[in-house]
Amino acid sequence: MRNIEKYRNAFIHVLELEEDEVVENLELAESAEWDSIAHMALISEIEDVFDVSLDSEWMTEFNSYQSGIELLERLGVDFINE
Amino acid sequence: MTFISIEFLLFLAITVLLNYIIPHRVRWILLLVASYVFYASLSIQFILLLLISTAFTYFTGIFIEKQETKKQKKKAMVVGISVLLFFLGWFKYFNFVNESLRSLATFMGWNYAIPYQEIVLPLAISFYTFQAVSYLVDIFYGKQKAERHYGYFSVYFAFFPQLVAGPIERARKLIPQLKVEQRLSYENLVYGMKRIAWGFFKKTLIADRLAPIVASVYDSPNPSGSEIVLATILFSIQLYADFSACSDIAIGSARMLGINLTENFKQPHFAVSISDFWSRWHITLSTWLRDYIFFPLCKRKKKRSEIYFAIVITFLVSGIWHGAAWTFVIWGLIHGFYRVFGDATKSYRESMASFIRLDRSPVLHRWLKIAITFLLVCFSRVFFRSDTVSQAFEHAKLFLSISSWSPVGMIKAFEIFPLFDLLLFIFFFIILQLFQYIERNNGSAWEFLSKHSTFTRLAFYIFLIFSVLVLGVTGDGFVYGGF
Repeated sequence: MRNIEKYRNAFIHVLELEEDEVVENLELAESAEWDSIAHMALISEIEDVFDVSLDSEWMTEFNSYQSGIELLERLGVDFINE
Repeated sequence: MTFISIEFLLFLAITVLLNYIIPHRVRWILLLVASYVFYASLSIQFILLLLISTAFTYFTGIFIEKQETKKQKKKAMVVGISVLLFFLGWFKYFNFVNESLRSLATFMGWNYAIPYQEIVLPLAISFYTFQAVSYLVDIFYGKQKAERHYGYFSVYFAFFPQLVAGPIERARKLIPQLKVEQRLSYENLVYGMKRIAWGFFKKTLIADRLAPIVASVYDSPNPSGSEIVLATILFSIQLYADFSACSDIAIGSARMLGINLTENFKQPHFAVSISDFWSRWHITLSTWLRDYIFFPLCKRKKKRSEIYFAIVITFLVSGIWHGAAWTFVIWGLIHGFYRVFGDATKSYRESMASFIRLDRSPVLHRWLKIAITFLLVCFSRVFFRSDTVSQAFEHAKLFLSISSWSPVGMIKAFEIFPLFDLLLFIFFFIILQLFQYIERNNGSAWEFLSKHSTFTRLAFYIFLIFSVLVLGVTGDGFVYGGF
């Protein structure tokens, strides 16, 4: 499975979203599903899936679908040339 | 030498003056001496503990950094934090645990021989211990380099404007500012003085004027329900005025030295939910608890129930940090419950608001949320303010009784105020609300004022100073200074 699919699946699985609801402009607290509690569960899922560890600063930086990708890229997860 | 004194203002003026006269390379010596003099003037018997804690944290930080493997670093960090928490635990919690065990033993009919110890709480230990813990954890995670300059590190540890009651600062924010040469700036001096004056205003004209009135009800053997309701609401105003004034003076004093401290309050009594309240009240403690307690507890947790548990534990730590008493433990648990309950019922509450068409009046909906949040916070403060658990439950029962809220009873409850004090409180409370209204609409009341004529600005500043000098009163220091 490609990394972008793993990333999307984390949202679908944890936030209980439909496939078409995981869009690129998805933002924390903008939908009922992605609230602050679900955010912590989403971080745990992403840490497990990509075998990375997000510290507190990165956790607060991760506030949208897009910023999550940028954050993971900084941690070495390749979304382009995989 | 407390913040609210002529001595402190003179001390600050001399420190600021010398700071800009002497070369930058020796300013840390001035700031360190000033910080220790300030601490010694308040609590000379515990200056040695402050020095030991500083040295211990400094060397532990370097030791953690020098370890080669993650496992070794972790071991060094855990030992370091344990020692720091042992100091805190011994001075702050020994008697709490001891007396709790004694009560349990008496209840169970066991023999318990450890006597009560006369232990005085060292000033600021809760604040500087939390700063030290964050410093060591940040070194472990590689977010902070262990500071090698003992002087700068010691100033970070004991920086006098924020030593006694925060804001709780991270080393990576404060130390670089101390190392950079801060040039004399008219804007910084004036802004600092304005923040200090505003702190004096809130402390001497609102907090310390309300303190004896609140105490007259909470110390009374038979307060009426309405008196408890009124005194609790007044206590919330007192606590905000008191603690935010302390932060204002800290931020203002540091700014005069060219240092920016973190804002600690954003009008918390206008929060629309409990989570919003905690993003506005004692912000530096909330973010500390989030980063060093809540986030680690949430690691690898995917179930909502597990995250709820982490929330409750975080608020429990917050309660215990505030004071070594079961009243604070309960206060923390109440906030943990609020936060979890608020989250679990969010969708139901939104459906309800939609059903009764409240969501069609967003302004009314918002103010209703503000009022409910404020009352929930007030209820929790019954436990914060009461001296014992049994007294707190008595007061809580009165607070929740419908008859306590009857308009007639509430009007009668205002008799706890001498008339002159009531008029003064109403007047200065309106000034505070106007100031906050301007801040909500313009971002900064000081910038708003700067757009007005020199005459208007001067009139406001003179009003502030004369009000403090003529009508201000001083009490027993700051509430959070006791933590």
